[in-house]
Amino acid sequence: MWILSFLPDWIFYAILALGFIAPVFARFLPPIYKPPVQIVSILMIVFGLFMAGAIHDNAAWVERVNEMKAKVAEAEAKGKEANVKVETKVVTKTQVIKQKAQIVRQYIDREITKYDSQCVIPKEFVKAHNDAAEVPEK
Amino acid sequence: MKYLVIALLLCLIGCSTTVPVTAKFPEAPNTIQQQCPPLQKLKDDAKLSEVANTVTLNYSTYYECSVKVDGWIEWYQVQKQIFESVK
Repeated sequence: MWILSFLPDWIFYAILALGFIAPVFARFLPPIYKPPVQIVSILMIVFGLFMAGAIHDNAAWVERVNEMKAKVAEAEAKGKEANVKVETKVVTKTQVIKQKAQIVRQYIDREITKYDSQCVIPKEFVKAHNDAAEVPEK
Repeated sequence: MKYLVIALLLCLIGCSTTVPVTAKFPEAPNTIQQQCPPLQKLKDDAKLSEVANTVTLNYSTYYECSVKVDGWIEWYQVQKQIFESVK
C-alpha cells in the first residue's frame, strides 16, 4: 500500500485515537459544533480502523515477501551449485570419451594400417557409410 | 456526501498491493549449450585405417553428444526440483 510507504504508521493510530477522543471533548463545545465533530470523528474512526488493518496486512505481506526473497536467493544458490556439478560431470565424461577414442586411434595406427594395402574398400561401402552419416534434411 | 466520497476513495487505496519478488530463469552450464557437430564422412578412396578412424571419431562424437543430452536431462530435473521447492 503506497500510502504506508511515505507516512509513518503512528499517524494512522493517532487519527484512530483522535476519532475516539474527539466526541468526549465535543461535550464541552457549544451544541452547534457537536454534529460536525461527531461526523468527523466517525470518519476518523473508520479511516483509522481501515488503516490499522492495512498496516497489519502490509506487515504480513512484507514478511512473506522477505521470506520469498530468501527462498529465491537460496534456490538460485542451489541452482548454481547444481550447474557446477553437471558441468563437472559433463567435462569428466567427455575427457574419458576423448581418451578412449585416442587409445583406439593409436591401436588403429599401430595394427590396422598394416592391412591398408591388403583391403580395398568398395565404393558402395563408402556410399552406405556417408549416407548414414549425413544429417537428415527436413 | 462529500466526506463519504473522500472516505471511500481513501479506502480504495488499500487495493494497490504488489508482490515484488521475481525469480531469474536459471542459466544452464556452457558445456551443455554447445551444438553437436556433424558426423565425419569417408573419402571415396578411403583406406581401411581411415575407415576405422572415421568410425571411431563418429562414435566418440555420438558419446560426447549423448553426455551433453544427459547433462541437459539432469540439469532440468535438478532445476525443476529446486523450482518446486520455492513455494
